[in-house]
Amino acid sequence: MTLPLILAGCIEEDEFTNTPRGNFEALWSIMDEHYCFFPEAEEEFGLDWNAVYEKYRPIVNETESEAQLFDVLGDMIAELRDGHVNLSSIYGTKFYWDWKLDYPKNFSDSIQRNYLGHDFRITNGIKYTAMPDSIGYVYVESFASGFGADNLSVMLMNLKHTKGIVLDIRDNGGGMLTAAERLASHFTKEKIHCGYIQHKTGKGHYDLSQPERLYLEASKGAIWLRPVVVLTNRGVYSAANYFVMMMRELPHVAIMGDRTGGGSGMPLNSTLPNGWSVRFSACPILDAQGNHTEFGIEPDVKVDITSEDWSNGRDTMIEEAKKLIFEYYDKISGKE
Amino acid sequence: MRTIRIIIAALALLVMPAASRAQHFVADSIIPERIVVKSTTFGLSGINALDTYLSGYDYTGGGLYMQHENFRDARTGKYRWKFQTMFNGTVGYTTLGNTGEIVAMGSYSWGGYHTFAVGNSLKLLAGAQLQFEGGTLYVPNNGNNPVAVKLRTALAASGMAIYHFQLFRNELTARLQLDVPLAGVMFAPEFGQSYYEIFGLGHAGGVVAFTHPFNSPSWRQMLTLDIPLRWRHHSSTLRIAYTGDIYQSDINGIRCHIYRHALSLGFVKTIFKIKQENSIKAYSPY
Repeated sequence: MTLPLILAGCIEEDEFTNTPRGNFEALWSIMDEHYCFFPEAEEEFGLDWNAVYEKYRPIVNETESEAQLFDVLGDMIAELRDGHVNLSSIYGTKFYWDWKLDYPKNFSDSIQRNYLGHDFRITNGIKYTAMPDSIGYVYVESFASGFGADNLSVMLMNLKHTKGIVLDIRDNGGGMLTAAERLASHFTKEKIHCGYIQHKTGKGHYDLSQPERLYLEASKGAIWLRPVVVLTNRGVYSAANYFVMMMRELPHVAIMGDRTGGGSGMPLNSTLPNGWSVRFSACPILDAQGNHTEFGIEPDVKVDITSEDWSNGRDTMIEEAKKLIFEYYDKISGKE
Repeated sequence: MRTIRIIIAALALLVMPAASRAQHFVADSIIPERIVVKSTTFGLSGINALDTYLSGYDYTGGGLYMQHENFRDARTGKYRWKFQTMFNGTVGYTTLGNTGEIVAMGSYSWGGYHTFAVGNSLKLLAGAQLQFEGGTLYVPNNGNNPVAVKLRTALAASGMAIYHFQLFRNELTARLQLDVPLAGVMFAPEFGQSYYEIFGLGHAGGVVAFTHPFNSPSWRQMLTLDIPLRWRHHSSTLRIAYTGDIYQSDINGIRCHIYRHALSLGFVKTIFKIKQENSIKAYSPY
């Protein structure tokens, strides 16, 4: 029975011990081998992952409790400045929020009520209504739940009398890429090339696969080809960032608002020796031009909510979006 | 008198084929064409699972185990050739700290063996197997990579030793079997490739890898003990089985091992297949 064992041997992973030092080493190594944005982080803000190791190793040695260790390890992964890098345990989940909190909020659900009115509908978490000036308003708060193609078709049919749609995804922190694809598929009549995806092929920081093309296919349900203005802010992240990346390839769509939060790396998970779960960006998604969007996508039209509008309960972005749609019709009718 | 002779002759004509069939039947029941031994056992399995696509650490736990075996003589070859089909499956739950992992693995193999008798009590069998193995490791907490799918088919070398011995006036049969996959193919994603990319986007090029003992050193070891049981006019055979399934791979930087060690109990059913079988079928209304 031992013969095969002797001949072939066991396949094991180099395991770190379940000690503060072991968990620290494990976390550092998981990131070192699996995180996909080291080249971008080095270029963007000069990240030196080996220096991070040297910085935190002595601090970890001084931790006296699991809760302290959790805080220290959370601080260490925050050095990556990536909202997709999280550490979860019974002490909670450590997130890096600066990509969102360091910038204007540019969204208020109180002000949004003034536009949704009392007669809005909700389908699969999407709120929508036809505003008084015949512009549709659609708010997609999250891509965490899947939308049915039928629900989206009915929504678009209910807005068919409007001139265009203000598609608001502000503060949408993401969810499922497939949900983002499904919604975007109702705004194109043909298959379009919208980006690329890569994955790590080895443990080196530059070990990435050749980019594979991503396509957006047209839905078999209702297709909306009138003007669409997608509203964005810094809270647009992950799958919502991916949604913007797809939508901006469409000719009748404009992106308006603030730069998105980014988060273009599809995250994967792993675990530490003590069972704590760690999440990290693993598969970079590039735009149709081959550029990464990890640090956000600039809008076509930059708009912030002004403090005057904020205090008057007016949403500058929605107003500007409506104006853009009217300008489009003025342009095609020759008024300009 | 003549009438009586005619009746006797007619009866003889009717009876003769039946008598010949009966003779044939008697002869075949003494020397069966082949013997089929079937057994199904159920038990518990200890599990140790590592898959660096999901986690760099061993998840340990246990689960339910089932094994079914069909072992028979070949139709020809003077009992020297045997065939074995075997299925086993495990469903279990393993943990690492506060995180859990569901393990479901199954394998099916078909093997042919040549028998080498060594004395009256010991038989050595050597042969080859075609193996199919599949299953999943599922970590619900892992967002976009909750599952590692295992799919493999391989040609394996297989051998067994069967030993008959007496204990307390009972004839027991012990068997030791070892199966070692030598060459095959398996599903193998790249180091950090997501299943969304493979199955959702269809970027499946290069996800099948050639396996051999150096990148996938795996084996199955099995020890069975068959104990005859008698109670009044009834008799049956109890099987106690230990099965160790060692599944390992190190492909595209993803290291995996799934160790299953199962102890199971069940009964053995021996079926004597006789040559008369075809004649009986010929008379069957179906």
